[in-house]
Formats: sequence, C-alpha cells, structure tokens
Amino acid sequence: MKNLEELKKIRDRVRKDLELRTGKHPIKIVVCLGTCGIAAGARETMNTFVDLIAENNRSDIIVTTSGCAGFCEQEPMIQVYVEDKEPVVYGKVDLQAAEEIFEKHILNGEIVEKYLFSKGK
Amino acid sequence: MKNIADHLFDILENSAKAGASEVQVKISFNKKKFFCQIIDSGPGIEIADVIDPFVTTRKTRRVGLGLPLLKKTAEDTLGYLKIIRLNKKGGTSLEFLINMFHIDAKPFGDLARVFMDVLIAWPQMNLKLIIPNNSIDNVILDSEKIKEELNLEAIYSSQIQNFIYETVKKELIEKGIDDHFSIEPKRKNS
Repeated sequence: MKNLEELKKIRDRVRKDLELRTGKHPIKIVVCLGTCGIAAGARETMNTFVDLIAENNRSDIIVTTSGCAGFCEQEPMIQVYVEDKEPVVYGKVDLQAAEEIFEKHILNGEIVEKYLFSKGK
Repeated sequence: MKNIADHLFDILENSAKAGASEVQVKISFNKKKFFCQIIDSGPGIEIADVIDPFVTTRKTRRVGLGLPLLKKTAEDTLGYLKIIRLNKKGGTSLEFLINMFHIDAKPFGDLARVFMDVLIAWPQMNLKLIIPNNSIDNVILDSEKIKEELNLEAIYSSQIQNFIYETVKKELIEKGIDDHFSIEPKRKNS
C-alpha cells in the first residue's frame, strides 16, 4: 500500500481527536446491514450518522452494525442505545430521518415518534 | 440494489457475517468488462445451495436474496457469477463479471465509498483491495497496514476518511471506473 507515509502525517495532525475517541461510548447507533437494509439504502444512513458524529465532534458516539432483524419492509432500520436508557428501534430511516433522529434523539434525548418502531427489549 | 457498489457491499457483508477475518477484493476493468473477485477466509459455503433464494441459514427470515440478486445483475449483462469453495477448511472465492456496455447494466455507484464503509461497519475484518496493473498486483488498500499505524476508530475523523477515500477513488478513476457506466470516451481535461 502506497501513501502510508502520508497517512502517518495526517494521523499525527489529528492525534488529539483520536485519543478522545478511544474511551467508552455511552451512545451507540446500530445500523441493520442485511441484504434488505443495503437494498433500502442503509449504507447512506450509516454514512449520514458517521458524518454527523464527525461534524458535531462527538467522540462518545459510535456506529456499529447488525444483520437483518426480520422486519425487512421497515428497512433501513436502526437501534439507538443510550446508557441507562431503554433501547429504541427506528424504521424507514432515510437521510432526512437520520438527520432528524440525530438532532432530536441523539443530541437532545427526545424520541422521534414519526419513525419509532419499538421501545425496550 | 441500485448499483454495483451496493452489491459489492452486500457480498462483503456475507463474509463479515460468516466471521471471515480476512477478505481480499480484486478488481479489474478491461474492454468495459468489470471483473471482481472476492476471496475470504470464512468457514465456506455449500456451493450447490447458495444461489437458491430459499436456502438460508438465518432464522429471522426464510429467504436469502443477496447472491441471487447479484447473479441476476451479472447475467442480465451476459456476465456471470461464480462461487468456488477453496478448500475443506474453509475459504470462499466469489467472482463476477458485468458487461458495462450492456443496455441492462447497472451503474457502478460509488465503489470507493464501499471500502470505507466496510472499514466502518466491520472493523474486525481485514480488508485488502487489489487492482492489478500489467499483471502486477497493486495493493491499493490494506486495513491491516492501516491498523498498524492507527486505531481504526480514527476513521471517524473526516480527515482520515477523506484520505483513504481519495486514495481509492484516484486508482479507480485511473482504471476508467466512474460512478456511472464508465462507457463514455475519456474526455480531455477542460
């Protein structure tokens, strides 16, 4: 792989931000990436969250993935885990929905009823 | 699936879900034929069955559509999908060919983004991207090498992300692969 030197330079430049990220992540966003999710555009949904996290400089949030949950018609689906709170599942999370959920739920803690699929375990 | 990028991501998801620790993607684009070979170190699959949509090991739903959809996308353009089990211990090689000049071809979509997305979605799986040049295997991306330099969580830094993305994108464009059908004659820089 070429360019590794360049990568090192960038790493040194952003080192401070990186150190912040290696702690705990009290907020976790899980994007379902089964075939159904991918076909419904879950990759865009995942990217939106990753971009929003970078934009808002939130090192306490992490995006992870899961497979198909069996409700393919609701894809793209996401689960939001906030420490000490019940997990929340959202369905049909397109770009706009992702932005709205990030702003309202992730940043301000209010559940967005419009896209709510289920609450609790 | 809207484009080839989605298909590729879906296939890589298969490898990740199968617990593959390593996956190697080889891409070439000659005479408007897009060839892609994916070799993973997963447990391997029963070849006879996988293309049948009603064969799946998962319990959440009873159909598996990823491979049948890719097969259709490839065959619609007179291309093919071939899956080979590498050895008894495991490991699968999957290759497909898509004729991009065919009227029924799907657009590429953003292939470079797919590799970024794999690093974000399945950081535990080592990903290697190879684009051969004059029969020499050029390693464009190697997440194992990247991990030696930094924690993969660094990918949340948009600077790191852009760097990796641009590295891959540049190589793809050099090979004549754009986000669409890559069939327009090369334009001179204007």
